[in-house]
Amino acid sequence: MPTNFEISDHDTMHVATRAVSPWQRFWTFLGNPWFQIAINALVVTASELFLKLGARDTAHLAHGWGWTGFTGLASIWTWLGIVCVILSLMSWLYVLRHVPLSIAFPLSNVVHVLVPLSCWIFLHELISTRRWCGIALVLIGLAVVAKPFSRIEEKL
Amino acid sequence: MKILPFVLIFAALITFVAGQLFFKRAMEGSRSAGFGKQFATFFVPGIVSMTISFFLTLGLLQRFDLSYIYPFQGLSVIIVSVTAAFLLKEKLTLQLTIGALLISLGVVLVSLS
Repeated sequence: MPTNFEISDHDTMHVATRAVSPWQRFWTFLGNPWFQIAINALVVTASELFLKLGARDTAHLAHGWGWTGFTGLASIWTWLGIVCVILSLMSWLYVLRHVPLSIAFPLSNVVHVLVPLSCWIFLHELISTRRWCGIALVLIGLAVVAKPFSRIEEKL
Repeated sequence: MKILPFVLIFAALITFVAGQLFFKRAMEGSRSAGFGKQFATFFVPGIVSMTISFFLTLGLLQRFDLSYIYPFQGLSVIIVSVTAAFLLKEKLTLQLTIGALLISLGVVLVSLS
């Protein structure tokens, strides 16, 4: 087991010895790196959808230097997407501080399930049978990566 | 299919992976050394790399569906896991490798649709 997981345990014990305000409990909960991985995935999904909306609005500008993407800045959606990207970066950096990259990064790929699903729901893009199979495979892979850690959480 | 979109997708991928490695290195260092000069040495190249990747992706999104472009980044699972093991000396267990392969395979399937 990697040794850099003790932070959240330490915080929990530290808080438990004193009278705990709901506010403190909230911060401890928010400070859980595993919870932040989930939050991160949701914010990343939102950012991708906003960026797509921004790109869709500015698609007619995509000629000449358009391939650099700078013309996308003409849409308000793009800026909303950028705000989400910055938020997700902050939570991601927090995650990286406590969890090894080779574990956190595969888990962050739950966005490859969330993005097609939300494209389907919100942008009305189609999901083929093959894409559904891919989504299922990603979920199985996530379970395989996450399993040893859920077992450790149970023991604690 | 022309070759330029693939070159751009590949460039976006490489800059993305490099950014991840820089960020991890920066944040790991920050636990002992704080947010000083050593942190900036890795964090600034990480930001530059990620910014390049961001605008390349935005340019690609103007031409293709999000659900088509985005999954190509799924190949980064394998690349990040392997490079993190070699460059950052992280432990790569068998279970992690299998999980990463399944995720990558799933993501490629999603992208082929």
